[in-house]
Amino acid sequence: MEVLARLAAAAADPAEAKNIAAAGSAGFAYGLAAIGPGIGIGIIFGNAIEAMARQPEAAGMVRTTMFLGIAFTEALALIGFVVFILLKYA
Amino acid sequence: MFAFEFPPINEILRWQDIFPGFNKIALIAVAATVISVSLFLIAARQDYREAPTGTRNLAEISVEFIEENIIMQTMGRDGLGWTPFLLSLFLFIYLCNVPGIIPILQMPATARMAIPIFLAIVVWFVYNVTGIKHQGFFGYFKSVLFPPGVPKALYVLVTPIEFISTIVVRPFSLAVRLFANMLAGHLLLVIFALLSEALFEARDKVLIPLGVLPFGMLIFLTGFEVLVGFLQAFIFTILTAVYIAGAAHPEH
Amino acid sequence: MQHAVATLSGGNLVSLRWVSSETTDTTMPTEMMTTDTPMVASAAVAETTGPNPISPEMKELQWGAGSFIVLFILMRLVLFPRLKKGMDARYAGIRSDHEDADAAKSGARADVVAYETALNDVRAQAATRIDAARQTLDTERQSQLAQVNSRIAARRAEADDRASAVKSAGRGQISDAVAAIATRAGEIASGRTPDAAVVKQAVVSAMESAGAR
Repeated sequence: MEVLARLAAAAADPAEAKNIAAAGSAGFAYGLAAIGPGIGIGIIFGNAIEAMARQPEAAGMVRTTMFLGIAFTEALALIGFVVFILLKYA
Repeated sequence: MFAFEFPPINEILRWQDIFPGFNKIALIAVAATVISVSLFLIAARQDYREAPTGTRNLAEISVEFIEENIIMQTMGRDGLGWTPFLLSLFLFIYLCNVPGIIPILQMPATARMAIPIFLAIVVWFVYNVTGIKHQGFFGYFKSVLFPPGVPKALYVLVTPIEFISTIVVRPFSLAVRLFANMLAGHLLLVIFALLSEALFEARDKVLIPLGVLPFGMLIFLTGFEVLVGFLQAFIFTILTAVYIAGAAHPEH
Repeated sequence: MQHAVATLSGGNLVSLRWVSSETTDTTMPTEMMTTDTPMVASAAVAETTGPNPISPEMKELQWGAGSFIVLFILMRLVLFPRLKKGMDARYAGIRSDHEDADAAKSGARADVVAYETALNDVRAQAATRIDAARQTLDTERQSQLAQVNSRIAARRAEADDRASAVKSAGRGQISDAVAAIATRAGEIASGRTPDAAVVKQAVVSAMESAGAR
């Protein structure tokens, strides 16, 4: 962050400074947004595999539910990605 | 060392008009409709008494996929009337996703916000209207905003959350999920393609063999995008089915 | 610096590629970069200050919405019902075929059973007929045998009769002759004529005792 601030200060043009700050925080936005969903999807997948291994006959239902869970969890990371683009290009 | 500069994002995503008001995204959307319609028309012309082959087989597989993997899993038997809607939704999204990996086209139409947001709004209308039709206007909003089995004091907290999640976040997340997945995949493909091109054409001859690495990644990601395109169409459709089922029968 | 170069051919987008100015000489013929030829147009899309990439564009929204609505209406009204009708008809046909096959199978089974009962009937009938024929044959043989035996017995009795008659006739002649001889011998021996009846009786008793021995 300190580096970012210094970079922003180094840029003479205020528009340039805004761009640099936006690029830096966009990277942080996506990186931070990916942490939680990454862990969450790992937990969902792990438990789904465990459930399928215990009850192979229920694999179809477990897989559908797993995809639903992943879809909900993944949405958070994707919103982070959208924020990334908004910050970078808006 | 070598020339690699990522182009501005609008250069990647915004396409020149083929003729005024009609660009590649529109072309892909129209092509998706034309392909689906002709698939089903050709399929319907084949003799239905014989075992299905070729086109008819494809059409029947898609119908059975929707009926068995989406409707029966979420809505049960009385949801089978939704098959045409979910089938056209699935086919349209899938055929808009797939051009992302087809050479020459190389652009998923859903990587632009227009189609996902439109489909999400359509789904939003569909499940709200279904809920109102099945439970009445006040019944539907009562079941959405005041879910049963919650202590009375908690409604202060639950009602705004439920309102936002059902009315606002659902269509937004539905659209963003599809859009962002396809856009991210497309950007990854662009990055690795540009990187391998830059490496293969580098002035410094030492760098040329290194271009194999991003090229291998590009091939892997192309295979991955096949999966993602299918999965996103599936997830969009099954979430639609879940929302409709929830609106029609709130107790489940 | 990079340029986007779109190649247009008859109104269709043939290719769109990035050309960096350093590599232009190797990747693209220089005349491709000129904008005065009608076939090649330097794309006007390369604007860094374009609309936000997230905001939907009106033309894409219109075309996408139009395509989806057309697809949905056609699917709802024409395509899906037609295909589904065919599928249902085929499934119904398969089911009825299955039922037909089951019916045919059970019919065939019933036919086999009927055939087997008929076969058994015929077999039993044949057996009884064979038994009856054997029986009649047996009785006939018995009767024939009995007839033949009785005929043989009659003949034998007749032959016996005749033989005994001949024998007794022979014996009478012999006894007469012996009696005549005995009388003559007695006459010669005693000079007297013995009583013929006494001689005859003695001869007969002597012959019978000899025959009995």
